Amino acid sequence: MNAPAQVFNVELIRTLSMVMVITSVGAVEVRNLRFSAMAYSVQALLIVWLLAAFAAGNPALYWWAGTAFVTKAILTPLFLFLYIGKTGDREVRPVIGFGPSVVVAGLLMIGFYRLTHTYVHLLAPSELAQQEVFRTNLAVAFTVFALGIYSVLTRRDAVKTVIGLCLLENAVHLSLVSLAPELRETALFGIATEVVVTVYLLLYVIAGVRKEFGTTDTFKLSELHW
Amino acid sequence: MNEHVVSSSLPAAAFILPLAAGALVFIGKPLGRWWWQGLALLASLATAVIGAQMVAAAVRGQVLVTWGNELRVDALSALMVAAISSIAFLATLYSMRYIMMPAVQERVGTEVVQRRLPTFYGLLLWFLGTMLWGCVTNNIIMLYVAVEATTLASGLLVAFYWDRRGLEAGYKYLMLLTIGIIFALFGCVLIYAAAAATKQLVGAQPLLISEVRNVIKFIPRQTALIAVAFLVVGFGTKAGIAPFHPWLPDAHAEAPTPISVLLSGVMIKMAAYALARTVSIFYPSWPQITLFLVALGAFTMVLGILMAVVQDDLKRLLAYSSVSQMGYVVMGIGLGTYLGCYGGLFHLVNHAIYKALLFMCVGSVIYATGARNIHELGGLGKKMPITSACFFVGALAISGFPPLNGFMSKITIYLATAEAGMWWATMIAIFTSVLTLVALVHTAYTVFWGQPRSEKVARAEVREVPASMWVPMAILAAACVVLGIFPQAIYPLLDKAAAVLATLAK
Repeated sequence: MNAPAQVFNVELIRTLSMVMVITSVGAVEVRNLRFSAMAYSVQALLIVWLLAAFAAGNPALYWWAGTAFVTKAILTPLFLFLYIGKTGDREVRPVIGFGPSVVVAGLLMIGFYRLTHTYVHLLAPSELAQQEVFRTNLAVAFTVFALGIYSVLTRRDAVKTVIGLCLLENAVHLSLVSLAPELRETALFGIATEVVVTVYLLLYVIAGVRKEFGTTDTFKLSELHW
Repeated sequence: MNEHVVSSSLPAAAFILPLAAGALVFIGKPLGRWWWQGLALLASLATAVIGAQMVAAAVRGQVLVTWGNELRVDALSALMVAAISSIAFLATLYSMRYIMMPAVQERVGTEVVQRRLPTFYGLLLWFLGTMLWGCVTNNIIMLYVAVEATTLASGLLVAFYWDRRGLEAGYKYLMLLTIGIIFALFGCVLIYAAAAATKQLVGAQPLLISEVRNVIKFIPRQTALIAVAFLVVGFGTKAGIAPFHPWLPDAHAEAPTPISVLLSGVMIKMAAYALARTVSIFYPSWPQITLFLVALGAFTMVLGILMAVVQDDLKRLLAYSSVSQMGYVVMGIGLGTYLGCYGGLFHLVNHAIYKALLFMCVGSVIYATGARNIHELGGLGKKMPITSACFFVGALAISGFPPLNGFMSKITIYLATAEAGMWWATMIAIFTSVLTLVALVHTAYTVFWGQPRSEKVARAEVREVPASMWVPMAILAAACVVLGIFPQAIYPLLDKAAAVLATLAK
């Protein structure tokens, strides 16, 4: 069982994972929507690189890395930038400011790191998935997931909530490849579950919201209550 | 299980047909109303026929498969396909005149509606196709993709009017449902990884639900419970289970009524189906899940009806009542016993029928008066006798009044919870039923008896709605009565469907 693990470049994968957390915080925090989208693009490239690194042990993953490159690293940022170009790029002020956010992100990262290292057997069913680099990946996946939820809950700007959604998706994909890295079907799973179409539709609706409401501040969307 | 596996193209046809028809509607955009509406009507009718054929096959004990084991239609899937396609056909028929309604034209302008009609019917067909795809697939990834696809297809339908309320509802709908579904995705990932790691399955088998069922006992307990939690959050969000229901009242109320009929009548059922399929495979090994699901069902039904009682907007009232009734379905299916699953599935079918009926009646009221708030309405019964009668039938059915269909399924659920020893659940269910009676029947006589409560309605020229709108209503009302008096009519199919889910045969 150890042989496949040695095929993966452990150090590279670990570094890429850690940097993913930084880009996630950037995507969530940065006020300028363009830079936020750029941080997301960097994260998309990181995850594609990660998939390619995993593919060394499971060639089917090259297909996934390819499609992920198109959907996550090209199309999604494209839609985001097109939208931002049409509607302006300052974010509406969020509920929680920069300082506290970074603290929260740091706490999440440390918390999940400890959690997954102690309880990895709860989640990772196979021998391979319980070994080192995959544990770190799982910790990162959970952190990014939590950051995605955090973005959706505390950001008032609708575009930031969409970016939060993209973070959630990246997190689940990272966990997918960490839990079952050696299977062929993992690639199929990953390719089929891209949310790029949802992102497009959401941005389309948000553009309409902008036109009708004059703002993308989700707190102003209160016609329907009770 | 003495099931007879037959290879057939029906499962594939069930969803490819509406998807292709939808594409044709989009391609034929310049052709005109006759093309868009006619094609939609034909395609939904054809799918309803396919549904009927699947039911016939299922009752004979056959399981239809296509493409190896990729698509698998057993009695449960056949039930879902038949229910979804028949209600979709009636909703399409209903929409023929509804969408040309004067009030709609005023709200957004005639020219805009004309321009958007082909999109409406195209997306409607794609919505139908993706729902059916979810019900016939055996592959856990495709189930996820289908559920996500239904959200995408219906997102623009919810926001159809493209005004403030529609856009807000559309945004919340897309956002909340997608977040929910990503939770379900993680649950699917866990099941897949765990099933593959048991080393009992080869090739693409970990993706097939029917295969995963066989290896459940080898999956570690905590992994299974975490997976179930994520799946419940994910698919539960889409099924309208509290506390993940907030998207539901907005979306169901602001969508055009034929779409509300589909959202409340069939889409949340399909989500409950996805939940049942993925979670029920865990029942035999971890029975404590049933307690969790029954409690969730109880919470949902109470919350839903309490919110419904205070509503003034007719469509929001019906939407909250949908939340409440889905609580019954989850409670029934969550029990895991044969009687519980029978009751849950029977209630699923019944609710589809009478909720579609109720929404259509409300749509007729909107069509005739332009108003949808209770404080404005009144005295419509004299001028709209058919709508009035249908609404009363629907209100009594949803309250569980004998001899209508709601009574039959509710009493099955009461018996099932009592048999399982969960008397608290029985009492909560009965209490909710009483509240439902109060809410719906009170609404019925406030809206249809007495005098109009506002200038707008008093002055409106109220007439009964055209035949293409009251015929579907009458058919559904008749179904309520027939299923109530002859519940054994549906027994052959429900028996097998419940057997598929009931893995804790007690």
